[in-house]
Amino acid sequence: MSNFGTYIRQARETHRAKDASFSVRQLAARVGIEPSYLSKIERSEQPPPSQQTIERLAEALGEDADVLLALAGKVSDELQEIIRRRPKLFGELIRQLKDAPDHAVLRVVREVRDGEW
Amino acid sequence: MIELKGNSLVIRFPEVHPQAELRVEFQRTLRIPDDDKTYPLPPGLGKFALEHVDDHAAGVPPHWLERGGVMLPMYQAEAMWLRFASPGAWNRSKLPYPFAIKVAAGKQCAVTGESWRNELHRDQQDYMVAPDQPWLDGFCIEKGVIRQFVAMPLGAGYSAEEQLTGKAEHGGLQIAVYPMKRESYERLCKKQRTISDMVKDCCLASAEPTFGFHRKRSADMGLAPGGRMRQEIYDDPYELGDWDLENSSRCFVHLCNSLVWQSITGSLPPHPAPTAKQYTTAGLPWYDYYDERATAVDGAAKLAGLKSVRQVSDDKGDVALPENESVTPECIVTYRKGLQPGQVRETWL
Repeated sequence: MSNFGTYIRQARETHRAKDASFSVRQLAARVGIEPSYLSKIERSEQPPPSQQTIERLAEALGEDADVLLALAGKVSDELQEIIRRRPKLFGELIRQLKDAPDHAVLRVVREVRDGEW
Repeated sequence: MIELKGNSLVIRFPEVHPQAELRVEFQRTLRIPDDDKTYPLPPGLGKFALEHVDDHAAGVPPHWLERGGVMLPMYQAEAMWLRFASPGAWNRSKLPYPFAIKVAAGKQCAVTGESWRNELHRDQQDYMVAPDQPWLDGFCIEKGVIRQFVAMPLGAGYSAEEQLTGKAEHGGLQIAVYPMKRESYERLCKKQRTISDMVKDCCLASAEPTFGFHRKRSADMGLAPGGRMRQEIYDDPYELGDWDLENSSRCFVHLCNSLVWQSITGSLPPHPAPTAKQYTTAGLPWYDYYDERATAVDGAAKLAGLKSVRQVSDDKGDVALPENESVTPECIVTYRKGLQPGQVRETWL
């Protein structure tokens, strides 16, 4: 769990090296949380925030929300609902793909089908 | 390839360049008043729900399946704008990958009013360039002025498609995306680095009700021209030869009203957007965007001749817009070229 805070701090500081608006204060304002809270999260003095806040952090930092949620030990409500609707099917799919290399997993990514128009 | 992720279309061209990725979002917004005034940009009120038409094969009309693509629910009381986002746009160490984007409503180009063609055309530019063009809110009727995309039942005579072609054939919204050629992008990156180095040296020295009128049995909706809004469609700063016409992706976005959506999917769309008056009275912000260094394309004569929903409604003696009071936006947030982190149009109500 402590990885989450460290990761956020590193991502923020990387941005801040080129853009002063990535101070704790300004990022916190954009995400809608108190600067002191963000600071504590970064120092792992507070557990990772809510899913909504993590998603806003991801947006503000240009990071993938699922990756940040995973670092926080969470799985998005959306993904949980997907699995809950068809647990057997998705349980099997995930197990089958767990050790597959990324390019093999990407082959099963579903594309939006274009038809005749 | 186009994926549907988090109610956005994620369009990638890994065969062209690993950075070649564009996200297209369909933002819900309020209907600006359809009067003689020209309004600033309304807010984004969250993304429209998007679903594969194939996932509802038993419930959608057969012609939707022929066209493929995705579908979204739209109340007639709301409007839509499109957001084009590059994943690396806020990472200043990487140059966002440029894309040429064609948008049409009922297969009529939103920039030129011409019928859909699969290629890019420069003589009368029929596309936009991302990331320079962050948003598109409607039909380009004059230089720097658009008419808002609002949903109307196809077949009622309001849509741009019906006004331009006399037919209610396609409806929906169509998008095609072309990435920049890899070599052109790499050349651009080199040029950018050179400029960046020069700047560095220099420095060293010194964010439904459906109205019931004309409800058609058809599930299709079309986009019609609503109120006037200030928005520039920027001229392509690159050469036509910089675009990779061999690698493009396109998508048909079907529009349906909330009741049709509910009968197809079994789920309820979100509540309708507030009216412009409710929003403005609450003191919430409107937006303006300027890019002084870019040139705006001229409005299309074909689109300039379109009648707005109110004008068609008046001609027909209908009451298409029960909520159409003029407003005076006082809180206007202005953004300049190149959106900075946190410079968004979305408002959380």
